[in-house]
Amino acid sequence: MSTVLLSKAEKSYITAGLKQNPPQRADGRHLTDFRLISLETGIADLANGSSRISIGRNVNDNGGGTEIFAATKLEVESISVAETSEGREGGRLAINVSCSPAAYPHLTQITLEDYQHDLTAILHATLSHSSLHPNNLSIIPGKKSWLLHLDLLILSDAGNIHDALFLAARAALWDTKVPKTRSVEYKAPKSNITGSGANEASDMDVDTAATSGFSTRTHLTHATDFELPDYWDEGEVLNGRDRWPVCVTLNLVPPIHFLDATPQEEAAVPRRLLLMFSFPPSSSSHEPTLQAMRTLGTGELSLAQIKDLIQIGQKHALDLYTALNVKLKDEDVRRTLKAQERFASARR
Amino acid sequence: MSSRVEILNDGGYRSDGRRQFELREVTINLAQQGHADGSAIITHGLTQVLVSVFGPREAKMRSQTIHDRANINVDVNVAAFSAGERRKRSRGDKRILEIASTLKSTFEPVVQTTLYPRSQIDVYVTVLQQDGGLLQTCINGTTLALINAGIPMLDFVCAVTGGVHSTSPLLDLTTLEENDVPHVTVAIMPKTGKVALVTMETRLHVDRFEEIFRLAGEAGKVLHREMKSAVMGRTSALVDAMGSQGTGIDRDGDEPMNTA
Repeated sequence: MSTVLLSKAEKSYITAGLKQNPPQRADGRHLTDFRLISLETGIADLANGSSRISIGRNVNDNGGGTEIFAATKLEVESISVAETSEGREGGRLAINVSCSPAAYPHLTQITLEDYQHDLTAILHATLSHSSLHPNNLSIIPGKKSWLLHLDLLILSDAGNIHDALFLAARAALWDTKVPKTRSVEYKAPKSNITGSGANEASDMDVDTAATSGFSTRTHLTHATDFELPDYWDEGEVLNGRDRWPVCVTLNLVPPIHFLDATPQEEAAVPRRLLLMFSFPPSSSSHEPTLQAMRTLGTGELSLAQIKDLIQIGQKHALDLYTALNVKLKDEDVRRTLKAQERFASARR
Repeated sequence: MSSRVEILNDGGYRSDGRRQFELREVTINLAQQGHADGSAIITHGLTQVLVSVFGPREAKMRSQTIHDRANINVDVNVAAFSAGERRKRSRGDKRILEIASTLKSTFEPVVQTTLYPRSQIDVYVTVLQQDGGLLQTCINGTTLALINAGIPMLDFVCAVTGGVHSTSPLLDLTTLEENDVPHVTVAIMPKTGKVALVTMETRLHVDRFEEIFRLAGEAGKVLHREMKSAVMGRTSALVDAMGSQGTGIDRDGDEPMNTA
């Protein structure tokens, strides 16, 4: 959805510039250059994980650019057989994208909601796939599990919204800490039962260890509830957080493609291919998996073209993934250092 | 059993270590956000609100225009992750509509709407985090965003929440305190000393009301200083940026060094 309306002449001016040799873009970037991306994690104190990302923000006054807040919240959910709740064994993810009306001031309420729904569908389908599911969202097997809510809030859209959403989602999920839980179980006071049982059954000569068929208490040897042992500890990170995918949007003006389109370029070039790649750490980053793929806009693509574009997209995704990982590790260090310093100063 | 949190302990400290009349830390960011004509991010402690102002501009719906003044349209959005417990509030939520209509009625007499007949001023409020004093933060943020957008106003509108714990008044309440003590939000116009808004949803003894009302008014004046200095800072930064191109004069007030 483009945020600007362009005339035919403007559109052809932009596409002509892109097709030129060497290609020309309004801001002087190369076709495969990104604008400046800035990222910060841990911006929402009340969330389990959060991030704020902006693409193409003006460095002088922090204005302009695509800006997204993402935050995760964990909720305890009970798994029931009766299908009354949606809780599932091993936890589940719920992803939601919402747009501030300030980001799309020209859209009506109804169009905005449709657009939110479109974006939510793309993110939810990609990120909540079982191949990416973190395996530490379970609390008590068969009883309780974590429901991970990921909320993304678009504050402003200056192009390339899909890449930005996936970057923000990856950063927030990376930052998420699952509270440590300890299972609590109820044990019937055994010595007491056997003691009294032995007294009563001494004449009858029956096995005292055998319990009454009506007593359900001793069957509950598995955990029934849980507690949070470390109140002050933030918990552990999501398992397999390396796997969360990154998205690259290839904007297509056959025979060329370009990355990180501005709103004007998006309006001029409506055809796009979204590629979401995941880089599992085990397979030495050369063997990424294509988690999702989607074409937007009208027009056709041949299979041969798509094959080429996937190859190219994989290269760009790897660059983006590497850069993002460096930044995320950097943020981890920054925040742990900050926390340590604060702790040290508090103790002094 | 978990012990109950003391609202105000014997030493005169509150649950977050503040004194009775101490306000939380206020940070104000007036940088441009997206395409908005004016915007402000304001935090009172852990409560954070982003306000974007568009306009005065042509109304999206012609039926919304008023022939002799501008229409102020307020839209409040609460981020799902903003509160302690995740909750997705839909647009039609009563609580949100109430905040929006309170903001609208607070600012309608303050903004000089008569200067822009048949136009619309859109105020989009996004609540990013909430820990008490939501309405006060929304009001202060809207004031700053309107000023930042260059919309003429009669005065600042500065709001503070006050509460009364048994007989001792408290200012700038957190969620924890709001849940426990009766509280009132007061918005004042510091230059004239007029009151733009008083709202209270809980019961408060009438004898206590005057004291807290007076205190909140004074606190509003303190906030006004903070807000004014933020606006001045932003404006002088803009003037500096413009001045450095046009004239060669040092804008920071230093005398040029005489090397002769």
